[in-house]
Amino acid sequence: MIRKLLQQVGEYAILMRKTFGKPDSWRLFFRQYSKELEKQGIDSLGITVIISVFIGAVITIQMVLNTENPLLPTYATGLATRDTLLLEFSSSILCLILAGKVGSNIASEIGTMRITEQIDALDIMGVNSANYLILPKIIAFVSIIPILVIFSMFFGIVGGYAVAYFTDVISVPDYVYGIQYSFVPFYITYSIIKSLVFAFVISSVSSYYGYFAYGGALEVGKASTNAVVRSSVLILLLNVVLTKLLLS
Amino acid sequence: MIEIINVNKSFDGKPVLKDISARFESGKTNLIIGQSGSGKTVLLKSIIALHRIDSGKILYDGRNVPDMKRKELTRLREEMGMLFQGSALFDSMTVAENVMFPIEVFSAMSREEAAERVRFCLKRVELTHAAGLHPSEISGGMQKRAAIARAIALNPKYLFCDEPNSGLDPKTSLVIDQLIKEITQEFNITTIINTHDMNSVMEIGDNIVFIYKGEKHWQGNKSEIFTSDNKELNDFVFASDLYKMVRQAHNG
Repeated sequence: MIRKLLQQVGEYAILMRKTFGKPDSWRLFFRQYSKELEKQGIDSLGITVIISVFIGAVITIQMVLNTENPLLPTYATGLATRDTLLLEFSSSILCLILAGKVGSNIASEIGTMRITEQIDALDIMGVNSANYLILPKIIAFVSIIPILVIFSMFFGIVGGYAVAYFTDVISVPDYVYGIQYSFVPFYITYSIIKSLVFAFVISSVSSYYGYFAYGGALEVGKASTNAVVRSSVLILLLNVVLTKLLLS
Repeated sequence: MIEIINVNKSFDGKPVLKDISARFESGKTNLIIGQSGSGKTVLLKSIIALHRIDSGKILYDGRNVPDMKRKELTRLREEMGMLFQGSALFDSMTVAENVMFPIEVFSAMSREEAAERVRFCLKRVELTHAAGLHPSEISGGMQKRAAIARAIALNPKYLFCDEPNSGLDPKTSLVIDQLIKEITQEFNITTIINTHDMNSVMEIGDNIVFIYKGEKHWQGNKSEIFTSDNKELNDFVFASDLYKMVRQAHNG
């Protein structure tokens, strides 16, 4: 098992070395990059907004229920909702969700290209297949993730506001005061730094599993599952490391 | 011309190619035939440098592939065209974009010249009408023709075909075979075809190399195959009653 793990780490490192080089054609690179931006970024905006609104609403309701104490100020709900969204949900949890959507998409796309010999065709032409296929995916996802994170933060807070506006669990002034109270701008930077690392992990690990998929449709399915599981585990591990490094 | 000399290749200590030597002339359709698992795909992949051989020489007009550095190999690959078993067209691109792809990557042609080259290649394989369609929207035979158009887009000196008739009906197979033969002669390409389709052997076998259990057992042309006394070759080529009758008729 350790040997297999070391082999995979070695293959991943070699693949990344092949990936990060000068593209054979910049025109093709930017064409692929814009396609990936749309596929990984624009197409993920919908799910990001929906999840963020509802999670923001649920966090707000739960915070009200858990802070029903006369010793706690009424603005505590807004403050806790904001910090939960900024510190954890909009980076880590969002990236775990996107590992499922974007990661499986990348692994299955590249895996299918592998088993249908499209990657061999690129290699035979003399094209650096890793560079052509993987680099635009990594760069696109890493460059779009801060936007997704900021969208998630905004719509999460909007979800909480909706709860305050449409229900009587918390008043709008208390919620608005709470989300502004003791604001630390570094939390946004921290969240974006984390998401950049997670986006790299999702796109590169998923590309690795797709690139080394051999066999048939079953292997592509396995590659896709492995990509999501391993990316998620790595995100959880790195979350602890980055939190310790950036917030301690 | 491509020449392979004493090529050996093994996987995990198990020999797959054993001391194979052969010459593949330009302007001729060279066929590698053999049963499934005989090593012909490994041989083809070794020739095109997708596999690194254990020992021997693979000479492209005198240039030995195992001695080549990465840049030299990349330059050599620009002189190659490849037709894969499953066509291997890029799903996300139209037929015309597939043909345009190698031109965009490697050639210094202007947009107009590149577009003209694509039109020429598609016309040559009679696929002009399908230029705007995606691979999933065209038939298997059309996909093969599109793949041939892509393979010849950069005027290759060497063309490799892996099971070009796989999954095609006999009539379409014949069209593909004839197209490959015409293109080979027209552009004086060194073409190597990996096949176990006996119709192809009989139609376009200018030079046939028979591989059996990783060894070269026989080499000759489609006429000589009828008079061969190689048992394994005869068992393979004349396995069906139809081809036994063909041999009887041919040999009188």
